[in-house]
Amino acid sequence: MTAHADAPTAQTEPAMAHEEGHAALADIVRGALEWVTAHRDRFALPPDVLETHTDLNWSMKPLGELARLSTSITRAAHTVADHHDDPHWRQLAEIARELLDFTWSEIGEGRVLRELARLEPHATYPLEIYAAFASAGLRDEHFEEFTGTLVRTRAWASTEQQPNRRLGVLAAEHQARLPSHDDPTEALRRTWLGALPEPWTFDVTAGYALTHTVFHLTDWGARPAGVPADLDTYLHHWLPCWLDSCLEDQQWDLGCELLAVGASLPEPYPPDRHLPVWREVAGRRAPDGSLHEVGAEPPDAFAHRYHSTLAAAFAAALTAASTTRSRPSESAHRDAHPGHPGHPAHAGAHR
Amino acid sequence: MRNLSGAVCDLASEVVSVLRDGGHRAVVSPNGQGPDAELGVAAVRVLGADVLLPSTLHRHPPAPSDLQLVREAVRTFPPGGDASVSTEWSHWAMRDALRRHDPAAAAPRPVAAEPVGAEPVGGEPVGGEPVGGEPDTAWLSRLTWQELTHQLAVLGALAVPPAVTGPSPVVAAAAPRTLDLARGFVRAVRRRDWLQAAGAGRWLAVLDSDATPVPATLGLETGLEFVLRMGGADPRVALHAHAAQLLRAGAAG
Repeated sequence: MTAHADAPTAQTEPAMAHEEGHAALADIVRGALEWVTAHRDRFALPPDVLETHTDLNWSMKPLGELARLSTSITRAAHTVADHHDDPHWRQLAEIARELLDFTWSEIGEGRVLRELARLEPHATYPLEIYAAFASAGLRDEHFEEFTGTLVRTRAWASTEQQPNRRLGVLAAEHQARLPSHDDPTEALRRTWLGALPEPWTFDVTAGYALTHTVFHLTDWGARPAGVPADLDTYLHHWLPCWLDSCLEDQQWDLGCELLAVGASLPEPYPPDRHLPVWREVAGRRAPDGSLHEVGAEPPDAFAHRYHSTLAAAFAAALTAASTTRSRPSESAHRDAHPGHPGHPAHAGAHR
Repeated sequence: MRNLSGAVCDLASEVVSVLRDGGHRAVVSPNGQGPDAELGVAAVRVLGADVLLPSTLHRHPPAPSDLQLVREAVRTFPPGGDASVSTEWSHWAMRDALRRHDPAAAAPRPVAAEPVGAEPVGGEPVGGEPVGGEPDTAWLSRLTWQELTHQLAVLGALAVPPAVTGPSPVVAAAAPRTLDLARGFVRAVRRRDWLQAAGAGRWLAVLDSDATPVPATLGLETGLEFVLRMGGADPRVALHAHAAQLLRAGAAG
């Protein structure tokens, strides 16, 4: 059995645990960003990226993920730095920003995406990747104009994609200042998470669909208010079970994404629940600061590390930023039933 | 030669069968013990008060032979000095069930107001052991949701509505933690621990109320059906799941 996701808090001083947690989160972000920076060339686009034989899953996809997550890490690290006037977090924000600038440079400040869009005008992925840059204020007006024609086609609105990805396309349209092809509220309810499904049906596929639904709703953690109240309650109820599952099944990558979801909620997932999980995740990192995706034996391959390492930095930065939004609220308070004493320690002492 | 776990499963099958038939007949055939009598009593000790569950939930008097077996199990296997608290509670539940179903025993219920170590309440105790309050429940409130679910699932036989059995300290202690128990149900299903899932589901069926609601998003009804389909070949799983379904249907409301 792995660490329980909600160790009792009564014997620990919450403020002290909070401080330790804060330093541990900074350590995770730093280790991961230093590893990514050291492996930056592996994210570089190959010279033949625009050729039809190039596998975009191993070229554009990792670069797009680096752009997306370094945008969010930059923003979250700045939030923490500003809140605590902390030069350490300011430096982490700068490292993340350098990675974002690298990705922007790699795609020729939008030119590569423009060319990809001309090669596959009815594919959504160039816009989805572009949205990460637009969210950071890096824009290409020519790309937005070109795509603006395509999003008005009936075909675009009927592209066959998974519901959580449709939500991502809607969010990308918004970031690119284009008209929405659908009502986001209705699109949300077509996703796995939007249906508030029975939590015991959770599996890895559902898990990734769920995390991406929340990322699209919140612009990857920047806008917690984008999560409707029923989803917020639902996620507070069931995240503990799914995090427990991820730790037990050694799903480190999905576990980090779920931690990022917790940090993206209107009322952030409480420290007495997330800190024990973070301790477990931190202990699974390699000495070089990277984290592998799944399992006990860390494979060396870049392919099995880059996403989970980025996800760890992203989730840790969001978690640190989430603690600036609200005082650490204890899970028992959050879970309390109306009309009942909140803390389990006060309940059940009937004789 | 049968072993204990086989005997427990056979007995659980009988309980399920009687539970589903409406509780009108004996769980254990009065003449069916034969050379396995000792094993039978040990199996009754393992299932505990659940041997009388059909009578409890359907509000029929139990067969005298069933009562006799439970009495024998209480007498033969009293919790020792080093017994775990869950063993003590399981024992308490058997004694409590006997007192409810067997007024002839004339011993008062081990009421919740009597702390451990109090003077024995009068009357000849069932099973020849001292009656004195009940074991502790404070430990339940200190458990993580994972540990709580494990412990309560072990104590599944205590998951009966107080409206039927009278006040129960364990039910009272568990009630504020329905959400934690619902999380434990999810975890047990995810881990394919059907026995724990069925036990947790049975507790949720007992505890669900306006004051301590089970979240509607859990989907307890379909969850119980799922547990039965996946793990119901084990009669112990079937016992808890069917008991939970009966409770949800209001059989003992």
